[in-house]
Amino acid sequence: MTPPDPQPSVPRTWKKPPFIANPLLRYGIFIVAVVYLVWAFGSLPFNWARISEGLPRAARIFSGGFPPSFERFGLLLTGFKESFQIAILATLLGVLLSIPFAVMAARNIAPLPIYLIGRSVIIISRSFHPVIVAILFVAAVGFGPLAGILTLTLYSIGFVGKLLAEEIEEIDWGQVEAMRATGAGYLATLFYAVFPQILPRQVGLSMYQLDSNLRASAVVGIVGAGGIGGTLMNAFGRYDYDFAFAILLIIIAVILLSEGISGWVRKKIW
Amino acid sequence: MLEISNLVKRYGQSKPVLEGLDLKVEGNSVVSIVGASGAGKSTMLRCINRLVEPTSGSIKLNGTELVNLKGAELRRARRKIGMVFQGFNLLDRLTVMENVLAGRLGYVNLYQAITRRYPQADIERAFSLMERVGIAHYANKRADELSGGERQRVGVVRALMQEPEVLLADEPTASLDPRTSEQIMMLLQSLASELSLPVLINIHNVAQAKTYTERVVGLRHGKMIFDGLPADFNKDALDAIYGGIEAPDETVSEQPQSSAEVARHDSA
Repeated sequence: MTPPDPQPSVPRTWKKPPFIANPLLRYGIFIVAVVYLVWAFGSLPFNWARISEGLPRAARIFSGGFPPSFERFGLLLTGFKESFQIAILATLLGVLLSIPFAVMAARNIAPLPIYLIGRSVIIISRSFHPVIVAILFVAAVGFGPLAGILTLTLYSIGFVGKLLAEEIEEIDWGQVEAMRATGAGYLATLFYAVFPQILPRQVGLSMYQLDSNLRASAVVGIVGAGGIGGTLMNAFGRYDYDFAFAILLIIIAVILLSEGISGWVRKKIW
Repeated sequence: MLEISNLVKRYGQSKPVLEGLDLKVEGNSVVSIVGASGAGKSTMLRCINRLVEPTSGSIKLNGTELVNLKGAELRRARRKIGMVFQGFNLLDRLTVMENVLAGRLGYVNLYQAITRRYPQADIERAFSLMERVGIAHYANKRADELSGGERQRVGVVRALMQEPEVLLADEPTASLDPRTSEQIMMLLQSLASELSLPVLINIHNVAQAKTYTERVVGLRHGKMIFDGLPADFNKDALDAIYGGIEAPDETVSEQPQSSAEVARHDSA
C-alpha cells in the first residue's frame, strides 16, 4: 500500500449524499406534492363568503369570553372533580388490565395463538379515537362518568399494552433462561425475570397515561361521558362564553400542572 | 450419574452442532469441557437442562431420561440440574437474597414466590451458602451493584439452592478477570467435593481446566476427540482441539454455518 499523497493538487470536496439518490425521482416527488396541494386546495369546497361572515362571529364569541367569569366556581369544581375521578380510575384499571394483554402480545413469551389474541385486543382498542369509543359507550351505558371511565380504560389498555409488549420483547433473555433452568414455572418466571425488568417503564407509562387520560377526559365529556367536558359543552350551549372561557383557562392550567408533575415523577424513577 | 449417549443437535437443516456425543460423569468428579467457539460445548450443556432441545439421543440423570420430559415433569427434572452462566444472568433489579431464593422457585408455590414467603429451611440454606462463598453481607443489596466475581458467586449459590444432583457451568469465568476467575474455579472445585456433586464446566482457559478439574473432555465440530486426565492433555491434544483454528481463513471456510448458529444461540 502506498501512503496517501499528503498534499493533493486539487482540494477534495465532500457533499452529503442526497436522501433520494435518483435525481428524477427526487424532483418528481417534489413536483407531485406541489401539484397535489394546489389541486386539493382548488377542489375542496371552501365557502369563502361563509368564512368571512363567520370571522366577526368568532371575534364576538371571543370578546364575549372576556373577562372570563369564575362566578359559578362550584359547578367548575364539580366538573373537574368528576374528570379527575374518571382519569384516575381509568388509568388504574387500564394500567392493571394492560399487563396481562402486554404479556399475551409479547412474541418472545407468548405462544403464537395467545400472541395473536393479545395483539388483536391491543390493535382493536387502539384503532378508534376515544371520542368515537365514548359515543359508543354513551349509547351503551348512558350519559355520565361510567361511559368516560370505560372509554379511557380501553384507550389505556391499547396504549400502555402496546408499549409494554414491546418492552417485554426487548428484555434481557438470560434472566428468563436462568429462571427456567431452576425449574420455575411460567408465572414464577414472569414475576421474577420479566416484571422487574419492565417495572421502570411501567411506572413511567402509567404517569404518562394519567396525564393523557386527564386531557382526554375533558374531550370525551363533550359527547356526554361526564366530567368537565360536559360542563364546557353546557356553557357553550347557553352562550355563557365567559364561563366557557374560564373553564378553558383552568383546563390549560391543570394540564400544565399534571404534565409538570408526571415529568418530575418519571425523571425520579428512571 | 449423568449419562449422555448418542446426543445429536442440529439447528434447522444445517450440519449438526453435536454429532452423536457420548459422555458419562459419575460421582463428584469435576469435568472440564474444552473446545473452540462453535465446537458445541454450550449446546451440549444446554441440552442437558433442555434450554436447547436435543434433536436425538439420550440424556439420563440418575436413571431419569431427560430428553422426552414435558411440562411439570421437565420442571421437576430441571430442579435437580443447577446451572451457572457466563453472563451471570442474575435478576439485576432484585436483591441478592431474592436472586438466591430464586433457586427454590421449582419447589415453592406461586404465592410463596410472589410474596417472598419462602420456607424457613430455604432461608437458612440461603444464608449458610452465602456465608460459605462470602456474600452473606450483601443479602439486601441489589444484584447489579455487585462486582463481577461477587455476582458469579450469587449465580453459584442460586444454582446450589436447587439442591442439584449435577451442576453445569457454561463458561463461568469468561466474563471475569484472571484472578477472580481462578477464585471461581477454586470455589467450584471445592464445592463439588463438599457437596459430592458432579460438575461440568465449559471453559476456554486450558490452563485453568487442567489445574482445577480432574477430567478434561475435548470437543471439536460436535465430536468428542479427547477424554482423559489433565496430565494426559498434552500438546497433541491441544492441537487436535484447537489446531488450525488460529488460521482465520480456514475456520470460516470450514464450518461457517454451525459457528454462526451457535453464536446466535449464545447471544440469545
